[in-house]
Amino acid sequence: MKIRNRISLSIGQSILLSTMSIVSLVLLVSSFVYFMAFSARTNVLVENQSREINKQIVLNYESYIESIIETANYIQRFSLPLDLKTDYEQLQNLYTLNSQLKKDVVAIFLFNEEGLKLLGDRIGPLSRNYILSEPWFTGALSDPSIFHFLSSGKSSLAIDRKDEVISVAKQVNYIRGGISEIGVLLIELNFQVIRDLAEMTNLGPGGHILILDGGDALIYTSENPYELTDRSLDIAAEHVLGGLKTNIEGRNLFLNINTLAHTRWRIATLINIDEINAVRRSMLPVFLLIFAITMVTTTLVSIILSLRISLPVKQLQRIMLKIEQGAIDTEVSVKGQKEIVMLGHSFNSMIEKIRVLMDRVVNEQREKRKTELRALQNQINPHFLYNSLDSIVWLAEHERSEDVVTTVIALARFFRISISKGATFIPVSDEIDHVKNYLTIQSIRYVDKFTYSFDIDERLMSMNVMKLILQPLVENAIHHGLDEDGGVIEIRGRLEPGWMFFDVRNNGYGLTEKRIEEIQNYLEGMGEAGPGIGVGLRNVQQRLKLYYGENAGLRFSGHSDEDTIVTVIIPLAKDSAS
Amino acid sequence: MKHLNELNEANGKMRRAAPFLFVLLAAFSFTACRKTPLPAGLFIYKEEDLFMRSLTADIQKEAEGRFPLVTYYSLDSQIIQNEQIEASLKSGAPLLIVNPVDRLGAHAVVNKLKALDIPVIFFNREPLEDDLRIWDKAWYVGARAEQSGRMQAELAMELFGENPHDLNEYDRNGDGAIQAVILKGEQGHQDAEIRTATVIKAFADEGYNLDVLSTEVANWNRDEGYERMDDLLDRFGEGIELVLSNNDAMALGAISIMRQRGIFKDTNGNRVIDKDDAKWIPVLGIDGVPDAVGHIKDGYLYGTVLNDSASMAQAIAELSLAILDGGIGDDFPYTVTDGKYIWIDYKTFTLE
Repeated sequence: MKIRNRISLSIGQSILLSTMSIVSLVLLVSSFVYFMAFSARTNVLVENQSREINKQIVLNYESYIESIIETANYIQRFSLPLDLKTDYEQLQNLYTLNSQLKKDVVAIFLFNEEGLKLLGDRIGPLSRNYILSEPWFTGALSDPSIFHFLSSGKSSLAIDRKDEVISVAKQVNYIRGGISEIGVLLIELNFQVIRDLAEMTNLGPGGHILILDGGDALIYTSENPYELTDRSLDIAAEHVLGGLKTNIEGRNLFLNINTLAHTRWRIATLINIDEINAVRRSMLPVFLLIFAITMVTTTLVSIILSLRISLPVKQLQRIMLKIEQGAIDTEVSVKGQKEIVMLGHSFNSMIEKIRVLMDRVVNEQREKRKTELRALQNQINPHFLYNSLDSIVWLAEHERSEDVVTTVIALARFFRISISKGATFIPVSDEIDHVKNYLTIQSIRYVDKFTYSFDIDERLMSMNVMKLILQPLVENAIHHGLDEDGGVIEIRGRLEPGWMFFDVRNNGYGLTEKRIEEIQNYLEGMGEAGPGIGVGLRNVQQRLKLYYGENAGLRFSGHSDEDTIVTVIIPLAKDSAS
Repeated sequence: MKHLNELNEANGKMRRAAPFLFVLLAAFSFTACRKTPLPAGLFIYKEEDLFMRSLTADIQKEAEGRFPLVTYYSLDSQIIQNEQIEASLKSGAPLLIVNPVDRLGAHAVVNKLKALDIPVIFFNREPLEDDLRIWDKAWYVGARAEQSGRMQAELAMELFGENPHDLNEYDRNGDGAIQAVILKGEQGHQDAEIRTATVIKAFADEGYNLDVLSTEVANWNRDEGYERMDDLLDRFGEGIELVLSNNDAMALGAISIMRQRGIFKDTNGNRVIDKDDAKWIPVLGIDGVPDAVGHIKDGYLYGTVLNDSASMAQAIAELSLAILDGGIGDDFPYTVTDGKYIWIDYKTFTLE
């Protein structure tokens, strides 16, 4: 399997990237779903609303129609016991009164089977054939069980009325001379009622009401002037019944067709739904705004979040880098996320452990060195002892008893100071005595080969110093630095603020700068010793560093062909001053 | 590598599972294909109508296990019925069984169904014949209103001795004529008009002398039947020899006031009202609702003409099945008059 190359991202970038992608995905999906749901909801809402409006309109018409039928039934009921012959006045009153009572009833008539008017308002000079051929008349006779509604655009039969009417006819029985006969009851309704009822509702721009008869012919449209009616009529005729979303000449309309009770008529309402669509469209910018706000907020939050996570990590990283570079004492103190803080703590304790371990190692090493050096320092140059004893023998042979005594005393004191009951530090005065004893012995041995002098600051005398540091320098000066013709060794002790210096100067060839560098390197433990430098000097150097720290040590200086100065540099610490 | 193995293993599992999944999928699609046919729509003009309630129950019982059916109650509003029909058509109903709210509303319904090629059975409220003729797949199942009036008259004739010229003791005043009051349904209602007209006509046809003291409109309603009868008793009192009601509800309303006025007595304590008591007045209804049947058993209601809901439901179910199975065949057990009508006979119901 191949491992795909991935672009390596920082924590912050990954958080930002993943958050943004999740949020935008969720947002897009939810917006889409919501918008769809909203659209569906508004569709349902539009449909329901349109249906309710349609129902209300139909109910308005229906209750009107019902009131007319009630009137007809009322007339019938009251005429049931009345005889046209004997109760003519009463019947005529019933007819005229009812037509006057209802303001939208233009006239009420009763015709007999031959088309002859029996009761009701005065009618114009019409031939009986005219009545007989009227569709409402024939309809009523052909089906006695229903009311026949007819709108033919004609005006009232009544002589004094010119209103356009709707004819409502029903076959009825009437009694004439005790005999039940068949007749036709005609109620003429003012067509204006239809208009008035239609105008009660606002259906929006382009919205209108159509009333269709049983043959899909237009009885009434509320549209004025006609613009959409032709088209809407076709659609209504085709759809017959029910609701339908449609578009006529760029207008979104909801068409609803319902039956009108007691008639074969249908009422179609066309309601403008553009406004609701506009509402839906207006949702889009709202969605965009929500989207934008959410994205900005998410970006900010994720940036803050990623910073809160990555900053402590970076801080930690910085501290770790510092520690890596050696600053092991650096305390890790990270503020921020709990995990990072804990990581910091863990790191701290780890560093602490490392530090302890390192300290232990260092201490062990130092102890080891101390032991080693103590052994070194306790070592007595066997050559020196041999030579000294040899010269004592030689002095004794030449009966220089005084010199023998001096040498033996010096040797004894030399060793006593060397040992110093095992102490590491001794007073400067003792150290100087030590050197003096050594010089005493050597000067007796190498008669007149060199002279020496001391110049020690009195204040130094009581101070403690690491023992056996000067003797090796002097030894070195005697062995390597002396002229054939009488050398001079000067030992000087200086006290400066914070520092103690001991110079061991000898005249002689001196050292070149290159040589000084070589020696210095050798002392530091690097490079070859070369001629004129013994193990003793390095021993001193190492001991100085070991006890007094890095600032302490030996420094070579001098002038070529003139003299060489080896300076012991000791920083003053509190304990060494006492 | 470990990853790779796992992946292979998973793939292997998938391969092993694949046939099983396929079978499952196939089974699912099989059941999806074989799902039950969409339900036919049953539209009842009004749930509160007692007769319609028992008829609906009968139709549902007949349909059970034979074809799926969803029942809609139209709350006595054609507008609501239109809406329900529209919804039912949208859900894919293969057949509509409609008890129209408005006879004339059927006109638009038939047109709509013709446009969509959906068959329709109207029942118990007859659309105009012209409207039924609009669509080949439109039928009507119902009873003839005329028959109910005639059968109601026949029940009365039986009670009065079957001889128009020699009425028995129930002609209380012995004048050779039956003094009757008629409780009429809604004025202008087809059934009310027909029942009223045919019951009178039946007496005349048989040569009985029916003296209609009054015809009162009580709108099919029990309470109004009670009130109208109250008036009639005030006006005519014991002069009433027969109460003819266009339906049972009005008859039961009339019986309530008659009981209050002490017209019904149980003299021999057999828990049945005695016809022989001098004050007894026979009441006749139409419809045969359960409450009426109870009243007949107690002797309050002399008889009723049963609009036979069980037979009608049976006919509707048979017709529905035939239509759903592709059409009315030769073995169809009912007579289809004019290719449109299945007429259900009324039955009479009395204590005898």
